[in-house]
Amino acid sequence: MIKVRGLNKSFGKKQVLTDVNIDVYDGETLVIIGPSGTGKSILLKNIVGLIKPTAGSIIIDDTEITSAPKKDIREIQRKIGYVFQEAALFDSLTVEDNVAFGLRTLTKLGEDEIKQRVVNCLNMVGLKNVERLKPPSLSGGMKKRVGLARAIAYQPKYIFYDEPTTGLDPIMTDVISDLIINLRQYLKSTSVVVTHDMNSAYKVADRIIMLYKSKAIFTGTPQETKNTDNEIVRQFISGSSKGPIETDRTFNEMEEL
Amino acid sequence: MSSNAKKIIKTKKFIKYFAVAQGNAVLSFLDGLGSAAAMALETFKWILQGAVNPKNTVAQMVEVGWASFPIIMLTSFFTGMVLALQVGSATSNLFNEPVYVGTITGFSLVIELGPVLTAVVVTGRVGAAITAELGTMKVTEQLDALYTLGTNPVKYLAVPRFLACFFMLPLLTALANIIGVYGGLVVTVTSWDVTPAMYWNEVLDFMVIRTFFHGFIKSFFFALIIAIVSCHKGFTTEGGAEGVGKYTTSSVMLSMVLILISDYFLTSFLVALNIK
Repeated sequence: MIKVRGLNKSFGKKQVLTDVNIDVYDGETLVIIGPSGTGKSILLKNIVGLIKPTAGSIIIDDTEITSAPKKDIREIQRKIGYVFQEAALFDSLTVEDNVAFGLRTLTKLGEDEIKQRVVNCLNMVGLKNVERLKPPSLSGGMKKRVGLARAIAYQPKYIFYDEPTTGLDPIMTDVISDLIINLRQYLKSTSVVVTHDMNSAYKVADRIIMLYKSKAIFTGTPQETKNTDNEIVRQFISGSSKGPIETDRTFNEMEEL
Repeated sequence: MSSNAKKIIKTKKFIKYFAVAQGNAVLSFLDGLGSAAAMALETFKWILQGAVNPKNTVAQMVEVGWASFPIIMLTSFFTGMVLALQVGSATSNLFNEPVYVGTITGFSLVIELGPVLTAVVVTGRVGAAITAELGTMKVTEQLDALYTLGTNPVKYLAVPRFLACFFMLPLLTALANIIGVYGGLVVTVTSWDVTPAMYWNEVLDFMVIRTFFHGFIKSFFFALIIAIVSCHKGFTTEGGAEGVGKYTTSSVMLSMVLILISDYFLTSFLVALNIK
């Protein structure tokens, strides 16, 4: 289980996260939604230790990661898989070496076993015969799927998805959503997904949390999210430019003209 | 309010703005210096702990050493040629015959031009490539990906590049010295009618092993500068593709400036130790 308590993060004078409290229960898929710039990705990066919080605590399986010794951090890293927004594949390595990277650094598997695991993971995300290719020769959707294969290769307990469907066509978006559901069933993993895509959010989520102006303002199931009276959430899920969410001022002024 | 009072307020505002801007620049410089030193210390720590990936290190050595060799060969050969041409021309004007062409060409190359020109060329070729590569990895979250996959980016990326620069630059410098002296030989023999035997006598008569070490030792320090500056600039790159361009330019400029400044102090130090 992941517990986030009183999390604050600021960059200089800019407050990005304010007193965020979140629980992620084992086996669930938690989706974090919210307008751009509300700190969703920063929240994920704080949880996995890529960014140090300004204040607050993050507890993963009873280990407080903000103050844990390196040995414990390594143990926690072994439990975490992270799917980056732009895949973040290593350009200089082949697809095979990308997917095998975590297996070589975080596990003690032999090379034969690693190769077999790589093929299995690529099959799981619907890719075949791409092991020898390098990332620049892959399409956007293929890159995302290789990124996903890399994150699940060492079978982590927790998988974090940072906008996994951004920039993909609607069909590929649905394929990725199905993959998230299938991987959860197959790996019995706990997932945290940051997304703007409400169709994908409703499809994969057990619970949805909305961040707005650096705070967590809503938590509920997909059904509760659809039926909520919260005007901010309603505006966001309907995708309307009119409502309490402050949009770009210039854009509003242009509209009035 | 009188115009005089307005002027005073304006001047005070300007002084305050200027002081704040200068203060910020100094703080930013010290911050950069501190984080570069921290990265360098971390790199040394990993090397001392033996955390060196042989495959990556050899690959970087090939990139820094073997791939830089053709351009080093070309530049040092022509540097030797132009030195011999200039020395021959100057001594012909002064003494009516070209004298000490080999001595002056050899000394200039081995103690000064060989190490400095090699370091400058390697900065442009390798330092720029290191910053651009690491900077691109930073802005595309590949460094974050390394961390999530249980790998320290300094250990995985900086250590091999650091070792490659540290061992390959002195080697390239030694080769540049030899090739430059041969470039001088070609011009001395063809333009100044000096026999090869005479040229080699002039080159070797006054040169002792300490002369060679003078330039060789400097090249190790230049390698440290190139590796630390280029890796640090790469790791701290921000601002997308534009940022990669800016940080790469800044990395090359800073390395070159530090090489030229440190050259003076290193030379003073080595001369004081009688390594000349």
